[in-house]
Amino acid sequence: MIKKSHIPKLDDFLDGGIPEGTSVLFCAYPGIGSETFGYQILNGRLQEGDKGFIFTNVAEPSSIIYEFNKYGWDLEKNIDEENVFFVDGSSYFIGSPVMGKYSIENYSQIKEVVKKAINDVPSGVGVINNLSTLVDYLGVEETLETIHEWNEFAKLNKTVLIYIFTKWDYEEQFIDEIKSSVDCLVNVNTIEDRVIIGQGFMVVSSSWTTPSNEMALFFIIQPGGVRIYIPKILVTGPHNAGKSTFVKAISKKSVSVDRKALGKFKTTIAMDIGHMEYKGFVADVFGTPGQERFDLILDVLAKEAVGAFILVDSTLPETFARAKEMISKCKAEAIPKIIVANKTDLPGALTTEKIREIMKLGSDIPIVPASAREKIGINEAMDAFLALLYRD
Amino acid sequence: MIPHIESGVHGFDELGNFKGGGGIPENTVTLIYGPPKTGKSIFSYQFAYHGLIIEEPCLYMLIDYTMKDLKQNMMEFGFNMERYLENDNFHVINAVTTNREDLMVDSEVYRYSSVKNPIDIMVKVGEGASLVHKKNPRFRAVIDSLTTLLLYNENMLIVRILKAYIMRIKAAGGTVIITYTEGSTDSNKETMIKSMVDNIIRLDGEYLTIEAMKGMGKRRAPYNITDKGMVVGKGIL
Repeated sequence: MIKKSHIPKLDDFLDGGIPEGTSVLFCAYPGIGSETFGYQILNGRLQEGDKGFIFTNVAEPSSIIYEFNKYGWDLEKNIDEENVFFVDGSSYFIGSPVMGKYSIENYSQIKEVVKKAINDVPSGVGVINNLSTLVDYLGVEETLETIHEWNEFAKLNKTVLIYIFTKWDYEEQFIDEIKSSVDCLVNVNTIEDRVIIGQGFMVVSSSWTTPSNEMALFFIIQPGGVRIYIPKILVTGPHNAGKSTFVKAISKKSVSVDRKALGKFKTTIAMDIGHMEYKGFVADVFGTPGQERFDLILDVLAKEAVGAFILVDSTLPETFARAKEMISKCKAEAIPKIIVANKTDLPGALTTEKIREIMKLGSDIPIVPASAREKIGINEAMDAFLALLYRD
Repeated sequence: MIPHIESGVHGFDELGNFKGGGGIPENTVTLIYGPPKTGKSIFSYQFAYHGLIIEEPCLYMLIDYTMKDLKQNMMEFGFNMERYLENDNFHVINAVTTNREDLMVDSEVYRYSSVKNPIDIMVKVGEGASLVHKKNPRFRAVIDSLTTLLLYNENMLIVRILKAYIMRIKAAGGTVIITYTEGSTDSNKETMIKSMVDNIIRLDGEYLTIEAMKGMGKRRAPYNITDKGMVVGKGIL
């Protein structure tokens, strides 16, 4: 039987939710909190009338109750009604009074005590927060052995186990072993360029469905919990570099606010708006006008965007300085960006190496040759962009 | 030449004799260590406060004392923090008290965490670094102090937090001061910590010794704690 995860979008990724008796690992990069995922799943299941427990070795139960309150979820009432309980593996070690149905005063007790807890919540859910801290207590070997035993036990008992894990710089082999110890792995990643500007989750593997490799961007609000949003992508560059054509090329649908300036050629005077859906990445695309008088728009959009395509006309090196200026604007807001060397099919187009040299760009900014008009290099540009965003 | 930022400690920036102004190499991590009560925190107050005056925001991690203590301690040297808390240039991660014990409201610039929960600390550091960076990509960060963090956590975990912290702040462009009380942990841990930072300064109550600093040799100078804060005298090579 499949139960809803109560995390928006995650149920779509998982073909309806999480089957009874399975284990799910939320693997987060340092700097992102993934415990909210565990707490939200638990809260949702409690509301459905199921039972559950939280094993904690990172915060005292009272702090967790307080956290739940901030999300607008009443854990205390559920504790009173015996729908949920704590396995307190935290308080004793910091000298606070222990609290909860079970408590741990010696690391060697952890395995058996959690098994008892699993046994107490048949067809329910247990949240293990935090697996990485457990590794510090038990060491790699014993942790892996413990997880295997818990998972076996949970399967028999139809209990879902949610593991919260922070991916510090462990050995790759250990990470692989941890990942293969569970039925389902959800990666919680950051989108960053020097600072974190967004976070997303993605189902990497699952024993009951084929993952879609789609990333859902989210933020966490209190009250509320995990909320999904559609990110903004910026397309910018000097005047007449081909931004509108590019926005159209990467979008399923798009509109352009423009006018025919002085007759012949169209120029964008407000912005191009498109909607990109590529390999599971969904975003609203905003193309800004290239003229300096519109830099204010660029400023505002760059603040909200998670990434940018900077277009240059490969045949016009004299416009590169302006492109560089626009990059520095995006840079101030620190967002991942790639250069699209447009009009690469035209005579006199410079090579990407030459463009890199003239613009004095570091190797960390990818340059992709393309022709928005001829639909050349569009997929390559989007692939390079996603690789940058996901930091593959 | 490595760009330097002003330390805010009287006399310190003159020790290096750098062309174009001395100070602390920008975007590096400096460990200030020594016995208790030698002025390590005072160094970090001056570093943070001077930054605020010249519009360089600060991400301050409180571990050994409460916000009330910090304000009082800084006030002793005439540093009034209120203005900078109000204009959002002074960001605090309070890992020492919960907001049920403290009067400050949990907000974007004032976040609560726990020494026992490094995962949460890193979440707050990540958010804080983004916010502070937005105010000014040239910013300062302080951990005062590592001592308590060491007390509460396993060796390996400390290495991980520190690594993650340093990576996060450096990537964002910040310059970091970390204080640590000598002898509060075993020598292995100490060596480990020293290997992770760029610059090392030791305070012994009488002398300030620059044991290591990017772009300069060892320096040693006497210092005093006055009502203006730490004042460093003329350096000896």
